[in-house]
Amino acid sequence: MDFEFTTDQLELRANARAVLEAACPATVVRAVYEGTGDGTALWGQLVQLDWPGLAIPEEHGGMGLGMVELAIVVEELGRAVAPTPLLATLTQFVPLLREAGSTRLLQEIAAGTVTGTLALAEDGVWHRPRMHTTARRDGRDWVLNGVKSHVLDGTTADWLAVVAQGNDGVGAFVVPAAAVVATPIEVMDPTLPIATVLLNDLTVGGEDVLLEPGDPAAAQAIERALQTSVTAMACSTVASCRRLFEITLDYAKQREQFGRPIGSFQALKHRLADLYLAVERAASLAWFAALTIAEDDDRRAIAVAMAKAAAGECQRLVVRDALQLHGGIGFTWEHDLHFLLKRAKVGDGLLGTAACHRAHLAEFLGLAAPA
Amino acid sequence: MKLRFDDDVEAFRAELLAWLAINRPSAAEMAAEPSVSTGHAPAWARRWTRTMFDAGWLVPGWPPERGGRNAGPIESLVYIEELAKARVPRTTNVQGLGIVAPSIIDYGTDAQIRHYAMPILRGEATACLGMSEPNAGSDLAALTTRAVLEGDQWVINGQKVWTSGANYADFCFLFCRTDPHAPKHQGISIIIVPMDTPGVTVRPLPEIIHPDQPDLNEVFLTDVTVPAHHLVGELNNGWAMANGSLAHERAMVWVNAVMGLEESLATLLVEAPALLDRLTPIERTLAVDQIVQVAIDTQAARCLGYRGFAKFARGAGAPEQALMKLYASEARQRVALVAAEIQGADAVVAGGVANDGHHAVDEPQGTWLEQYFHSFANTISAGASEIQRNIIAERILGLPRK
Ligand SMILES: Cc1cc2nc3c(=O)[nH]c(=O)nc-3n(C[C@H](O)[C@H](O)[C@H](O)COP(=O)(O)OP(=O)(O)OC[C@H]3O[C@@H](n4cnc5c(N)ncnc54)[C@H](O)[C@@H]3O)c2cc1C
Repeated sequence: MDFEFTTDQLELRANARAVLEAACPATVVRAVYEGTGDGTALWGQLVQLDWPGLAIPEEHGGMGLGMVELAIVVEELGRAVAPTPLLATLTQFVPLLREAGSTRLLQEIAAGTVTGTLALAEDGVWHRPRMHTTARRDGRDWVLNGVKSHVLDGTTADWLAVVAQGNDGVGAFVVPAAAVVATPIEVMDPTLPIATVLLNDLTVGGEDVLLEPGDPAAAQAIERALQTSVTAMACSTVASCRRLFEITLDYAKQREQFGRPIGSFQALKHRLADLYLAVERAASLAWFAALTIAEDDDRRAIAVAMAKAAAGECQRLVVRDALQLHGGIGFTWEHDLHFLLKRAKVGDGLLGTAACHRAHLAEFLGLAAPA
Repeated sequence: MKLRFDDDVEAFRAELLAWLAINRPSAAEMAAEPSVSTGHAPAWARRWTRTMFDAGWLVPGWPPERGGRNAGPIESLVYIEELAKARVPRTTNVQGLGIVAPSIIDYGTDAQIRHYAMPILRGEATACLGMSEPNAGSDLAALTTRAVLEGDQWVINGQKVWTSGANYADFCFLFCRTDPHAPKHQGISIIIVPMDTPGVTVRPLPEIIHPDQPDLNEVFLTDVTVPAHHLVGELNNGWAMANGSLAHERAMVWVNAVMGLEESLATLLVEAPALLDRLTPIERTLAVDQIVQVAIDTQAARCLGYRGFAKFARGAGAPEQALMKLYASEARQRVALVAAEIQGADAVVAGGVANDGHHAVDEPQGTWLEQYFHSFANTISAGASEIQRNIIAERILGLPRK
């Protein structure tokens, strides 16, 4: 076991951080929040730097990097509160294509000409024994019907990977944005925009059928793809928390009351020590999950659920204390703190909250009530 | 980053396991003659320490003449993991092997190394660590046990408390005030005091669990005289050495703490189905969530430990290591508490579990409630959790002291 990043990985992190500090300062985030700008220019820069091809195999025009590298970049997105289609495309759309063994669209994604997302959740639930969205066979094609919720970038992604229930099991399909009705939901964090997606007698065939319902490997492939999505969201959330912690720590050193820095009061020292521990705890579980995926280790299901649960537990503490320790200033719209606060909260809500993943763990650990 | 160790590390592990299989003391042998204090080394423990010393397995990171084989940090980590898995202690005298002997080797004279450190390594002697006093606990530098040089003798007067193993140890690594006028951190020295020196009186302090086998003691020193050459290292430099000696095993102590935590969790998971079966559905749901949370804590402790260790092994700064004592000891406390609470009324039954051969706080022993009480040994001693938080806040996070 070697739990330190390689020099290449550390370099990747430093580069990614430098790029985002320059291309995605808080002013860009604020513009998205205030409706005076969007992430288009940022996306253009990331495409120029070949970021969309990061985790796509070289033979399809990508860089062929693994899950640990993807995690590193995703962390930087969370740290910068970056409004970009990269997260949904690389950690929600591509993993399902790849688990299905499909090479569909990989070339275009690597080139940055198309983006994608995952339409899986229904009524805010990502793990469901049976989907309400149906896939009905029609000759050689499949017809999809249903409503998907919480689809990240649902109104802007070019392609959607849809998971639907057939008579003999679950299946996965790719559909173009034009074929669905996507309704944006007004959300607290506009850097992670979501939509409700309606599938109305949508016919899918040929290479757009990723995994046929009834294919015995389908459920597991979907589960494995979802593990990548969940781990990435955990990484993004923990990174937002780490940034919140750093900002709060700096503030505690600099803000004076009663003639001394507030960070010299032991009540705050102990809280900051606990925040630091919560961040390191969640980060090491998130990296461990990424590593089990990168090496396809059998502990991956448990590691992923633990990572997302710990990320949720971390944000719960960090969001509370970051806001509380800033006093009134953190409560204002003008201060940039709330971008991170909201990104961390939304990161817990998407792809299963901490409690939801603890429930999965109860099953993995054999603790669920006998049926 | 990778999940596996390199082949040479695995070869090291295989060699150790093969050697252990042949040479280790059996569980029956250890239980037949249990160590009743961390200063007490029964015959099997003395033989075992000696066997490890001779084979270069006592402290693998050290050179052969000190009982090692010049192993690297990763091998040393694997070594500690495998011994914990095999449930064999290197020694029953943890303070002696872990802190006293390494400190004497680092700071002592050749004669002190010969007469005091090497006998510990060969299983011939045990040592205790006399730091805390009634009025110097967390504020260790407030200690007042006074040593005055009269001719070529130190004359020592004062009192120590919580001295683990003093009731059986051969000598004490005693922290004394040698300059009462200097600032409190600068007037402390370390002196070796054989426990059979006239004027040394030991009074055992039975503990809340297993009062029949006390490990803690009060040590009273009245006009105790030892030769001047028993001073270890430089005069009035004891505080700096204390930080050095406590740092000694800090890079590795987390391993045993995490293994103990993992063992506790594994036991809880085995017992869980029967415990949960007695509960109503709602009680069960509440209980399961508690178990899951400590399972996450346990995996996190392992990951955090490896994270800090990977940096340490590269010779880099590893702030994560400062978190491990706090985190692992508190997580251990939570596991025992969760388990005891799920047991409900049954948790109150006293265990009467026999000593399995040695007092290792890291190894879960006794009922869950006993383990819970016992776990405070690790959240209080060696820098209580509150002191750990102060240290993290001030030294790692750089928050102002005042
Ligand atoms: C099982 C066990 C084995 C031990 N073995 C040895 C040994 O072999 N040799 C030896 O010398 N000592 C030993 N000790 C002593 C141990 O190191 C002390 O108990 C420890 O340093 C705490 O000191 P104290 O007991 O005087 O508590 P105190 O220092 O009085 O602390 C009481 C409480 O106040 C808190 N507190 C104190 N100061 C602060 C502060 N600045 N900020 C916030 N909170 C604070 C503490 O965290 C604690 O909760 C052992 C203790 C135990 C429990």
